[in-house]
Amino acid sequence: MCDVRRGERRIHGVTSFAQAAERHLDDVYAYLAWFTGDRGVAEDLAGETFERALRLWHRFDPGRGSPRTWLCQLARTVALDHFRSERRRVRREELAAIPERFEERLAEGLSPELERALRRLSAGEREVLALRVLLELDAASAARVLGISATNCTTRLNRALRKLEEALDAAA
Amino acid sequence: MPPPDVLDQLREARVAAPQELRERVRLIAARATAPPRRRIGLRRAALVLVPVLAACVAAAVVLSHRTPGTGSTRGLPAGSTVESSPTPAAPADRSAAPQPFTGAAAAAPAAAAASKAAPLLPGPTPGRVQRYEATLGLRLRTPAAVSAAARRALRIAGGLGGYARSIQVDAGGASGYADLVLRIPRANVDDAVQRLGALGTVTSENVQAQDLQAQVNATGRLIARLEKRVGALRSQLAGEQARDERDRTERAIAAFTARIERLQRGRAGTIRTARYATIDLTLSTPQPQPAKPHHHGPLHGLVAAFRWIGIGLVYALAIAAPFVVVGVLVWLVVRTVRRRREDELLSRP
Repeated sequence: MCDVRRGERRIHGVTSFAQAAERHLDDVYAYLAWFTGDRGVAEDLAGETFERALRLWHRFDPGRGSPRTWLCQLARTVALDHFRSERRRVRREELAAIPERFEERLAEGLSPELERALRRLSAGEREVLALRVLLELDAASAARVLGISATNCTTRLNRALRKLEEALDAAA
Repeated sequence: MPPPDVLDQLREARVAAPQELRERVRLIAARATAPPRRRIGLRRAALVLVPVLAACVAAAVVLSHRTPGTGSTRGLPAGSTVESSPTPAAPADRSAAPQPFTGAAAAAPAAAAASKAAPLLPGPTPGRVQRYEATLGLRLRTPAAVSAAARRALRIAGGLGGYARSIQVDAGGASGYADLVLRIPRANVDDAVQRLGALGTVTSENVQAQDLQAQVNATGRLIARLEKRVGALRSQLAGEQARDERDRTERAIAAFTARIERLQRGRAGTIRTARYATIDLTLSTPQPQPAKPHHHGPLHGLVAAFRWIGIGLVYALAIAAPFVVVGVLVWLVVRTVRRRREDELLSRP
């Protein structure tokens, strides 16, 4: 009886993770793509994110946030680790030049001007745009992902939008 | 703020995960053997365990503060019930004669409800020589009442043909006390006890009775034998001619006669003494209530436990506060540095 219950719980947990992964894969991938600005890197980081999510799935508490928010938090951590390692690698190899990126489009459906304006934003600004505009997270959830307050998150969003507007004006 | 169409364009710019990534994630989910979720987290466990532990500590403190064997009689001195409650004696079978006495107290414990009732001391047995002594304790409200009751007791004793052998009255202070030793004719003892008992609230009763009838009878028989012996000696004296024999006989007669007189005096004294009963009447006001010992309720242990817990917390706070402040400062510095590095890391396009 106890084994049966344990098995049911295990099946339920695996199913829940599988459902969450299937449902939020696009969101995590889009967030990482906008965050890193590189779809190939985003693909690797998304796989690593779900590997980590699988290991930490037992820590997920539905009462503290949605699976999407939790997955985005993990994705952010993975992306930051990638940024750090990349910076160390660049310093170690003394590569002054920033590697070529944005070889393919950030997303389908964007005008060339808007995509260029997005590329001129920093990773942090693209991140907050991805969370608030692309994934349409509310301020509290986005702030939880970023590890900052909701007010600070809104400030960052306004600053990013203003910078995006300036870039669009300059392009026009 | 960018125009709305730009925001709409951003919202509609969905980025779909490539099929390879989707398959990879599915494989990850498929080989997942996620550990069973911990059903009872630390917070929930603490939510239950902390009150339970606190209750256990409180119960232990309460139980440790309760002395064994303490119940409703806690704090009462041993034997106080017997001493303080009125002791109306068990009604004796007064028709039974002779009384096989005794010399022991006939006091018996009585219910407190009977404290206002008249005393039920057994009276002496009529027709027999008995030494009868009774002690009667009465409680009155005020020293003035004690004084008045003492006067009335004297009047009762005089009215019944008795007298007071000793009187000690102290009714001048906040509390009153009187001790009267009354001699009452034995025939009026019952009446005297009833009337004296009505002067106040009976708090104690005691009676001692000793039957002297057998002793008096024995003395009478001895006197009779001695008188018979004296009569024989007198007859012998009349027939003796020798001077030495007469002197010896006369000395014997004188000695027997003297002994007979002593025995007769003793017997008369015994009978005279037994004709009166001794009643020791004690009148007193209520003793000032001693300060009640602070009776700790069942929650006292709990309060004490929480007090000690509070003291411990204050000490812990005083000791840990510097470390906490340093820890908070370190955390703030680390957090600030980490955020600056993050901002720096994310500030590049």
